[in-house]
Amino acid sequence: MQALVAQLFEESRDDVYRYLLTLGLHPPLAQEAVQEVFLKLYTSLKKGEDIQNPRGWVFRVAHNHGLKVRARQSNEEPFDPNMEARLTAPAASTEHDLIERERMLGFHRAVEGLSEQQKRCLFLRMEGMRYPEIGSALGISASAVGEFLRRAVLRLRKVHDV
Amino acid sequence: MSDFARHLEDGLLMRYIDGELPARKARQVEKHLQACWQCRTEIEELKSTVAECIRYRKYVLGVHLPDPPHPWADLSREFARIDDSVSAEPFFARIFRPVASFRWSLAGAAALALVCAVIYQLRDTPSVQAAALLKRAVAATASRPVKPVRRIRFRTSSQQFVRNIAAGKAAALPQSLEARFQQAHYASNDPLSARAFENFRDSLPQKQDEVSTVANPETHEGNCYRIHTSTDTGDVASATLVLRTTDLVPVEGLLEFRDNQFIEFSEFTESPSRSTDTTIASVETPERPAVPPSRLAVAPPRKSVSISDELQVLSALHQIGADLGDPIQVTRTADQITVSGVGVPPQRRQLIQRKLDSMPNVAVQFSEPVAAPVLQGSTSAAPAPSGTPRPSALTSRIQNRLEEQVGGRAALERFTSQILDVNETVMSRARALRTLAERFPGGDETQLTAGDRRLLGEMAREHINALSATIRSLQHDLNPVLAGLGGVTAHRAVSQANSWQTAADDVTRASRRVEVLLSVLLGVAPGQPSAELPSDVMNAVSELRADLDRCQQLLAQEGGG
Repeated sequence: MQALVAQLFEESRDDVYRYLLTLGLHPPLAQEAVQEVFLKLYTSLKKGEDIQNPRGWVFRVAHNHGLKVRARQSNEEPFDPNMEARLTAPAASTEHDLIERERMLGFHRAVEGLSEQQKRCLFLRMEGMRYPEIGSALGISASAVGEFLRRAVLRLRKVHDV
Repeated sequence: MSDFARHLEDGLLMRYIDGELPARKARQVEKHLQACWQCRTEIEELKSTVAECIRYRKYVLGVHLPDPPHPWADLSREFARIDDSVSAEPFFARIFRPVASFRWSLAGAAALALVCAVIYQLRDTPSVQAAALLKRAVAATASRPVKPVRRIRFRTSSQQFVRNIAAGKAAALPQSLEARFQQAHYASNDPLSARAFENFRDSLPQKQDEVSTVANPETHEGNCYRIHTSTDTGDVASATLVLRTTDLVPVEGLLEFRDNQFIEFSEFTESPSRSTDTTIASVETPERPAVPPSRLAVAPPRKSVSISDELQVLSALHQIGADLGDPIQVTRTADQITVSGVGVPPQRRQLIQRKLDSMPNVAVQFSEPVAAPVLQGSTSAAPAPSGTPRPSALTSRIQNRLEEQVGGRAALERFTSQILDVNETVMSRARALRTLAERFPGGDETQLTAGDRRLLGEMAREHINALSATIRSLQHDLNPVLAGLGGVTAHRAVSQANSWQTAADDVTRASRRVEVLLSVLLGVAPGQPSAELPSDVMNAVSELRADLDRCQQLLAQEGGG
């Protein structure tokens, strides 16, 4: 069991960490939270909990734990990675890279323009979670997840089509 | 090629590419896609946007978000610490694993999809139901003449009293109670109103609703709607409003706080002993500690559990609609009742847990869903619908005629989905009724007290009434179409059941038959259709109705349980 959790930790920790950053956690807190979540997973498995999809479980627990951590850091601003500045930073690149970067910048702006719930559903879906799992993480129904995703994808499609 | 009305909505396509549609719906979509270029193109575009999302995840989030500030820790030392602490726990706690089996095991993936569809549908609709019900109740209040004075009884864990509320003028509440209402962001001037509840509910950033039908808590006669809204945020854990079904008048409300305090308020119906034209609160027994509300009743711990305890647990689950599709199993041993659930969402778990918390000798165990495994780390949106059953020539012919009858393919799709939805409601009610019948067979009822028998009877009656209304609606939708296909109803032998429990068994069998025939008729399941299929369906539904009538009749004869 240790090996299983250790392997999942190695495979998924960066994904969970990035997810927590998008939730507004500052990097040190996000990293700490990731470790706590995996230890929680190990404890639950050890206690005999039947976890069918550990990765989905990890994201669900990370989301809820992340919200609590964010609430505790309420006296400071949520973490803002300032992606726009990072994306537009000058770097030696080919013309193709520049076009691609422009495209991704447009896409990023569209993602930023999504509602919080749309964004949460999209990010969790991008991590491979199914609608019921996303729903249970966010406390909404699976069909509401479907609706948020539909709206998100339609809005992103407009940018993508341009 | 096809008219616009035929095209599938993008929400459906989205769920299709995400593999989130029930198998039969997925098959319908697949079938449509084979014929429709436009929808196929639409799907390609959705997939392309999904692919763009993945590029964004990889090349933007993956590259530009800051790396973790420290190297990742080696968790093995922590694992060892956890090993030590867990091994210190009692042995039975470690080896216990909830049984992940449904009482109603259904065959095959299609059947599993049906169960999922029922669950999702039930999980899906309550918020809409609650909002719609409240809207109707607010409108009904506005259209009613205003009562000059209403007497509302308030109960908390430490006091109970009655307050008169005159139109628009409310007497002041004790300060502590007023503070509680404020803390809850719930209007205290007329709490027992749909408007107050609606405003409270609307203000919640996150909520989950349950709508169920319960017996009138005051008079125990007639039915009421019970709207239960729970939330993870704020000081209030949940709020409940009970509305009379006949006129949507609120009869009882309950606010449950996270610190286990509660405020219950209900219409005070006893004849007033004081003047009724005053707005002054008549605080009757402020110093007398009140008993907790009936739903929170704390019974002294008992050594062994009885069939009556089991009934109470089922009744509690029934009140929150957890007997209609939630994957929950109740098992009774000599000293404990175990309620186990598989794949129950967290908020639902909390609700069930809270509902059963105060009951002695009840253990609640939940485990994660037995779902199709997700490819770890995979972000591709691969649909996994099973293959479309190859329709026989006769099925196709019946389908074509059905299509003509209802007015085109788009109309047939709507018709199919509507009928399947109604059928799912039938199945969930029939299962709930059968569960009661199985758990409390005729002989066992004698072990129940008169009150228990009444409770059992009420629960069974509620299922029967709801089922009866659903079957009527099914016949209303179905029969004209089937008659158009040459379907006729023949008289069938009536059920020979001699107790409502055996009749409930007949009801389950009949509802299964209806489901199978409907699935073949609508082309969502393989089958051997005969030319008599339309008549068979009509007869199966009539038979179901007759069995249900027999069940209802026997229940009434047995004095309501």
